[in-house]
Amino acid sequence: MFPLSFEMWAEKYRPKMLDGMVNQKEIVERLKSFVKSRNVPHCIFAGPPGTGKTTAALCLARDLYGSAYREHVMELNASDARGINVVRETVKTFARIRSIGEIPFKIMILDEADNMTSDAQQALRRTMERYTGTCRFILIANYSGKIIEPIQSRCAPFRFTYLPREEQDQHLMLIAEKERLRLLDEGLDAIFEVCGGDLRRAINTLQATASLNKPVDAKIVYSIAGRANPADIKKMIETAVNGNFLDARKQLRNMIQKYGVAGSDLIRQIHTEIFRANLPEQSKMRLVDIIGEIDYRLVEGADEEVQLSALLARLVEIGFELGNMK
Amino acid sequence: MYTAWVLKHKPESLKEVIGNGEAIKKFLGWVKVWRNGIPKKRAAFIYGPPGVGKTIAVEALANDLHMELVEKNASDYRTQKTVKRFAGLASQYGSLFGGKRIILLDELDGLTGSADRGGVKATIEIVKTTRCPVVLVANNAYDPRFSTLRRYCLLIKFERLRASQVMTHLKRICSRESIQYDEDALKFIAQRSEGDIRSAVNDLQALAQGKKRLIYKDVSWLGYRDRQEQIFTVLKMVIYGKTCVSAKKVVDMADVDIDMLFEWIYENAPAHLTHPHDLAAAMNALSMADVYRGRIRSTQNWSFLRYVIDYMTAGVAMARVNTESHEWIPFKFPNRIRMLSKSKAERAMKLRIGHKVKRKCHISAVRASKEFLPYFGTIFRNNVNMAAGLAKWLDLDPEMVEYLAGSEKKGKAITELLS
Repeated sequence: MFPLSFEMWAEKYRPKMLDGMVNQKEIVERLKSFVKSRNVPHCIFAGPPGTGKTTAALCLARDLYGSAYREHVMELNASDARGINVVRETVKTFARIRSIGEIPFKIMILDEADNMTSDAQQALRRTMERYTGTCRFILIANYSGKIIEPIQSRCAPFRFTYLPREEQDQHLMLIAEKERLRLLDEGLDAIFEVCGGDLRRAINTLQATASLNKPVDAKIVYSIAGRANPADIKKMIETAVNGNFLDARKQLRNMIQKYGVAGSDLIRQIHTEIFRANLPEQSKMRLVDIIGEIDYRLVEGADEEVQLSALLARLVEIGFELGNMK
Repeated sequence: MYTAWVLKHKPESLKEVIGNGEAIKKFLGWVKVWRNGIPKKRAAFIYGPPGVGKTIAVEALANDLHMELVEKNASDYRTQKTVKRFAGLASQYGSLFGGKRIILLDELDGLTGSADRGGVKATIEIVKTTRCPVVLVANNAYDPRFSTLRRYCLLIKFERLRASQVMTHLKRICSRESIQYDEDALKFIAQRSEGDIRSAVNDLQALAQGKKRLIYKDVSWLGYRDRQEQIFTVLKMVIYGKTCVSAKKVVDMADVDIDMLFEWIYENAPAHLTHPHDLAAAMNALSMADVYRGRIRSTQNWSFLRYVIDYMTAGVAMARVNTESHEWIPFKFPNRIRMLSKSKAERAMKLRIGHKVKRKCHISAVRASKEFLPYFGTIFRNNVNMAAGLAKWLDLDPEMVEYLAGSEKKGKAITELLS
């Protein structure tokens, strides 16, 4: 029986202090030096999801202010409140009031800042400048390129990278041990395959598999990870290369709509599958060219299915050209 | 004299109202509670797709219970001031003749944007203070604008009617109008209405009024009329356009907005541009149109719309280089629009859960709803104890639990553990 009130493991095992952070060593060292000198510049934490950006910001705040850190820190999520009014009102109100205590400034954590409109970013830039004395900003973003130049130049940049495989494995094994969960090697492999180095996702996956009360193997991981099974991806690629676009698009639709697979995951899986596919080596590199371009458009564009089906159409085209060569 | 059959054959009593029995029972029960004083939820929020009898159910109920119905459409109360004047009067005092009164605020979805700013707020005020039952009616109760309002309301969902239910009503009308009919003909009208009884009655009137007998042939052409036909012409001009200008022209002609037009083109272009080179070029054009949609969203620079239009119309038309002429392939209704409207309420639910996760997990509600929910699904479907623990930690309401668990039964099992 589980105790009532059961946390998400991603929260339960989130490090509380910088000392507890096992990865991103260089970044952590620099942040520790900020704590030591009792001063923090404006920062941008950029990097892929699940690599410890938010955790680092929260740890920094806790180390700096101690247990009452909540009084000095505000967390705002730009995806939920991304308009200019939020910057004008919420952010400004918080930033301009001086903090009481040993450290003269407060910290504003702006999560998913790359989702702010450019107008809001412009407004933010002025706020950052005016209230530097009373408030330091930590901007968290997946893509620092989506933060406007003037803000970037005011911030110390920190690049977070995906966790190396061994570090992620260690982490998961530790959790599995504490939660008394049997985690098989093939389960670890599968988690890495579907989550890359995204630790939050990996831990969520692990927790969901735990709910089944079975040893964690590859099959379970694929079935629950909200990811497409590699076999399905392979089939979709083959369908397209064989020239049946409409059918391939239907399969794509199924994965997106029914199983809720995210476009960025699909494209990563397609990328992996391409190298395993039975295609001439030269065309694989042509495909990488296309996949990269579509991946970029996914970031910029509005609709995952439209972008990915454009990729499928290119697969049809390449399949057609290969057929002609034979 | 022309009388609309929708009005002429309107149900007078709840007994005559077709479908949504459970919802009506819930509604009736709530109104009856008022006899013993003011209940905790002073308003009922009836929501559901158009033409399923939401307003009519309220009217019929007022009729049955001999209550005075005070009715307003959203179009009548556009500002805070006007709502207050109307509803303040109506809700604070009993009726002049001592009878019971019920207030209906219809077409709540009509309160939009800045023009109606305050409309929703004023509605909330009314709901909080009213002394007689207030009924709100809208298509979508899960519109974010209503998030606060919802909390004060008993939510009652009206479902689309089944074709057989629509048929029952059509048959009743036919017999009252002394029209003989082929079963097939009525069936066709009923199915085409997709559960919208109002449009079915309108169709019936258009086709059958003045006739002695309605046969299948009279109705079969119905599928091809009006809007459908118009969009087909437009699609043809895009997908088979010879010049950029002619393809671009359709944007002004089409009776649908650009996003909708995009969906039609995106759905149908591939089947008509079959040569792999053309297909790739057309899909690339649509992909670029979409990229510009994204750029508009992030920069709010709407002048980019011209590139969206260029790519999705001329871009697709100019992709035709190698495709040989083939047999005519009928155009299809965009699959994604069907899915989209279905999942609207679902997305609202996901986002509400996302907000709960946000409070605990340092992540935006939007991202949480995408990233965490699939995992919750697994946990809630498979492990009651773990689910109950999480539900408590996240402070999920029973409705959310039921959604995540995927069935009422499992939802209940989890909720019971919590109490």
